[in-house]
Amino acid sequence: METLLEKRNAMTKSVASTLRQRVAGIENTPSIPTIFLPLLDLLNMPPERVKLDEVVKLVSYDNTIAAQCLRVASSPLFGLAKSPETIRAAVISLGLRKVETILLTCCLGNAFPTANWPLDPTVFWKHSLGCAMVCRKFSEKLGDGDGDKAYMAGLLHDIGFIVNCMAFPKEFALATAQASQEQIPLAQAEQATMGFNHCESGRALAEKWHLSEDMIQVIAYHHAPEQSKLARSLIALVHLSDLLCRMRGMGYGYYERLKVDLVGDPAWSILLEEHRDLGNVDLALFSFQLDDAVAEVAELVSTIFGARAQS
Amino acid sequence: MTSAATSAAASNNAAPIDPVFRQVRDLVYKVSGIFQLEEKLYLMADACGRRMKQVGARTPRDYWDLLTANASREAELRQLLNEVTIGETCLFRSQPQIEALKKVILPEMVEDKSKQIMKRLRIWSAGCSTGEEPYTLAMSLLEESERLLKGWTIEILATDLNDRSIETAKAGVYGDYALRSTSDLFKRKYFSQIDDKKLEVKPEVKKLINFSRLNLQDNSRMLFMKGMDLIFCCNVLIYFDGPSKAKVVNHYYSNLNFGGYFFLGISESLLNLNDQFRLVHFPGAIAYWKPSLKSGTL
Repeated sequence: METLLEKRNAMTKSVASTLRQRVAGIENTPSIPTIFLPLLDLLNMPPERVKLDEVVKLVSYDNTIAAQCLRVASSPLFGLAKSPETIRAAVISLGLRKVETILLTCCLGNAFPTANWPLDPTVFWKHSLGCAMVCRKFSEKLGDGDGDKAYMAGLLHDIGFIVNCMAFPKEFALATAQASQEQIPLAQAEQATMGFNHCESGRALAEKWHLSEDMIQVIAYHHAPEQSKLARSLIALVHLSDLLCRMRGMGYGYYERLKVDLVGDPAWSILLEEHRDLGNVDLALFSFQLDDAVAEVAELVSTIFGARAQS
Repeated sequence: MTSAATSAAASNNAAPIDPVFRQVRDLVYKVSGIFQLEEKLYLMADACGRRMKQVGARTPRDYWDLLTANASREAELRQLLNEVTIGETCLFRSQPQIEALKKVILPEMVEDKSKQIMKRLRIWSAGCSTGEEPYTLAMSLLEESERLLKGWTIEILATDLNDRSIETAKAGVYGDYALRSTSDLFKRKYFSQIDDKKLEVKPEVKKLINFSRLNLQDNSRMLFMKGMDLIFCCNVLIYFDGPSKAKVVNHYYSNLNFGGYFFLGISESLLNLNDQFRLVHFPGAIAYWKPSLKSGTL
């Protein structure tokens, strides 16, 4: 007789194989910008090896992205004294890392037709960009030194939702409906209705895209940092930032009945191992300051995506 | 939007805020724990403007000097805090706190106390001023009396230092301004019309609340305020100096049951005055939690 565990393993295997098949299907979507994969290669390089000309070439390759990049560079968010008129000027003024993150956001934002998404794309981008910003701020507070990597991790942590919107629209629609109706975390509703959550589907996509191992780990374990073996500190940072965003108006667009005890969270202990100063962070002040970031993020999302994001 | 708010918003759009007001904002946070959002910075500028007229400061920089000079800083900060928090009192002002109470905390407390014979919730509104906060709590909890809190006894203790405020609170009569965030449904359900401008809280709401005068610095009386499940103390501790504030907060910790919560104002922080309380987040609100015994965090 099959044991319960064997049955569960068999089910997990079938879920995993369905996931792989459907994720493979997404990659063939024609709308993925040509520059996306070279851009990811660039992001994986150490900053000193990235060449300015290559970035300018990448940005200029796609008219939509070039226009978006100029629009963002001209927005008051970046506080440049004069709006850059050429891509080269924008790249120089903003700095390579900033351009890369803007590019990646634009790329991901343009990559997928969002017409029938069960998740409001504006909500998704606000959460992703919000989390990216919070990750960077948190990382800076800890004197981490790699705010850009933290930003990237925050931006990409939920790409599994894109997979679910594209490859499992019906099933995922049930999950989003259940989550907002019962006011429970979306990952919990996904698990209940689909048998897997966006961490697993995100991981499948991240592996397909050959993202760096650290990013794959962040995407796969941001809801359970204690289960990860690599990049634990980064994953813990993303986990806490994600929770903070959801508590301060940059969640999934519905009320989550949730009490978040950051200091009691296993991620806090993981982060504390590497950052002894963590205990000195004024969490209340940090939370209040995030409320200021909400308006900033909304502005960034509408600058990048224009009218589409405001609908 | 009121005409005053419109003009403030208009003045906000018209001219950039003097960076000195950002410094004032940070100073106010450092001494009181009250945070002013960037988009509400014009309110801080307005409050400073009113004080500048009073004290005859010609420029924001002059006022900053006054706020930071040894001789005047304490008195002037107190005056400024008065201006910053003025007009904040109204019923249903801190909706995210009420939502957290109803949607997260009550279900948790009801479950935790399900095995107790005495199904009772004790809530303390400390520094209740003219009663807006305790009445808001009473009405919100009454909404649950046929659902989550069926069969439960609710006791709300509301205290203030000022006798006149207590008398006003007991009367429970409010005009448009205090009721600006109260829904029409609640106005019909929990208030009686006494004239064309005023509404009075109904007896069924009043009977949940026990109003009394209390000085939060009266140590012997503070020791007796035991067995609380929730304490609300909004924009009160900002007027206390560091050591007095720490003392009151330590009392609150002892006054609360394990698993109880302490709420400050919606943009108010305890700074680092107490390391026994655990800061917890709810959507749009923070609270200080006395961890329950079963949580294993003691």
